[in-house]
Amino acid sequence: MKSTNNNNMASHGLTYEGCNFFRQRLVLSTLSGKRVKIRSIRSKEDEPGLRDFEASFVRLLDKVTNGTKIEINQTGTVLFYQPGLLYGGSVEHDCSPQRSIGYYLEALLMLAPFMKNPLKATLRGVTNDPTDPTVDLLKLTALPLMKKFGIDGEGFEIKVVKRGMAPGGGGEVVFTCPVKRTLKPVQLTETGKIKRIRGMAYSVRVSPQMANRIVDSTRAVLNQFIPDIYIYTDHMKGANSGKSPGFGLTLVAETLDGFFLSAEMSSTPQGQGDPMLPEELGRNCAKMLLEEVHRGGCVDSANQSLALLLMTLGQQDVSKVLLGPLSPYTIEFLRHIRDFFQIMFKIEVQKPLEDERKGGDKVLMTCVGIGYSNLSKTLK
Amino acid sequence: PVESEEEEEQGKIFKLLKFTFFNFMQPDESGSLTLDPVSDCLSWSGALRWKEDLQEKAAAAFLRQQEAAPNLRKLVYGTGTSQEEQEEELGGLFKVSRPQKSRKVTSDSLDCSHFRPDSSHDWDQEEMLNSIRDCFVTGKWEEAQDAA
Repeated sequence: MKSTNNNNMASHGLTYEGCNFFRQRLVLSTLSGKRVKIRSIRSKEDEPGLRDFEASFVRLLDKVTNGTKIEINQTGTVLFYQPGLLYGGSVEHDCSPQRSIGYYLEALLMLAPFMKNPLKATLRGVTNDPTDPTVDLLKLTALPLMKKFGIDGEGFEIKVVKRGMAPGGGGEVVFTCPVKRTLKPVQLTETGKIKRIRGMAYSVRVSPQMANRIVDSTRAVLNQFIPDIYIYTDHMKGANSGKSPGFGLTLVAETLDGFFLSAEMSSTPQGQGDPMLPEELGRNCAKMLLEEVHRGGCVDSANQSLALLLMTLGQQDVSKVLLGPLSPYTIEFLRHIRDFFQIMFKIEVQKPLEDERKGGDKVLMTCVGIGYSNLSKTLK
Repeated sequence: PVESEEEEEQGKIFKLLKFTFFNFMQPDESGSLTLDPVSDCLSWSGALRWKEDLQEKAAAAFLRQQEAAPNLRKLVYGTGTSQEEQEEELGGLFKVSRPQKSRKVTSDSLDCSHFRPDSSHDWDQEEMLNSIRDCFVTGKWEEAQDAA
């Protein structure tokens, strides 16, 4: 990676190329206080430059911070970002319907504990689409994970007020998070056995029967493993049902040690390819959960980078987390953590024993936190 | 595959020994078995040969396995692809713009945290289902642990 070599020398700022990993770079820049410059954003494409959803993301960062400086060139292919202080407070944001609220929420989850004032973000847009982690998934997996790091307290929640499916959107989510001064180091090395499976089948602007059909086909697959399965059905009506029809399912497997593995699937957005039957969706989603169980670890694949970030920012002590195979997104995140915080993880592969039936290889990640403390948090 | 090769080799040697035993050993007048002097050296040197370099073989197999296991740290933090940017020029004024390979493609691809590997397992197979049975409380428990 060419940019990395330059980065180590130039302490005043980091330079990257291309629009991939856009959020990682800006979030880590904001947390570390290092300036970042992103060049050649879609420079070879017919429509060069930043898209609406990225511009919307930058605006959201601007809203939760104070004194952020953003410069974008005329074609939108170069972005310069100088982070300000994380301010927090009450924020409202209309997210671009090109990406779901999950896209924005993932970044806010990383930033929210380190604000000056507790964050209350009202996000409007698409709550569920097939591309990004949905708000339901983040609610069920990311919040319990953050609690392990000591981020807890009153008003730590994600609330789906209105559901809005892609492409129309029209959903609304409220995310509130208390501020923390320091994070706890963690030792999450034993996954524990899965004791139950919970899920939520949702449907809007279609027959409520769709959700029931999803539930039946999902149970048929998962009952082979465990009897304790409960899938709630959620059918929002009227003003709370957004602008587009659709349905979907979010599944979580909870282990005895309180870890969550998840999978989810949403119906194909209206007018974008072949529609999917609810039975098919339920079955495929259940199989995706089995795949996730096979990967295993204490953190599911969607939240790997969140866990690694919280480990990095923890107190100056050893943190260990057992993960499944690292996703490409996580691998790039590790490289970015090295660029912004000069932290490298110890990575050990744990192979399953021969007669063990516990899925594939696991990866044990170890690091010493940098002792990040939230200096802007107001003392009471 | 390494182990099975070794086993195969050992199996061959045992067969050879058995063969020599039945073909060259004949009961003498007193009824006890004696070796035919001609086949003697042949069979026993063969038997010893596979034992000789067991330690070296094991060491070699271990090294092979070490190399095969991906070094994740290298994969993540390695120096990365050191491919230089190649830009052809035409007449010193125009640059040839070609769809770039590998790294260039990923640098502008979709920013998404979902992990969808190319090769998913086939969860209709009983074999696959069995591979994760013990992840559930309904599966087998280690002796040190208790379901209660």
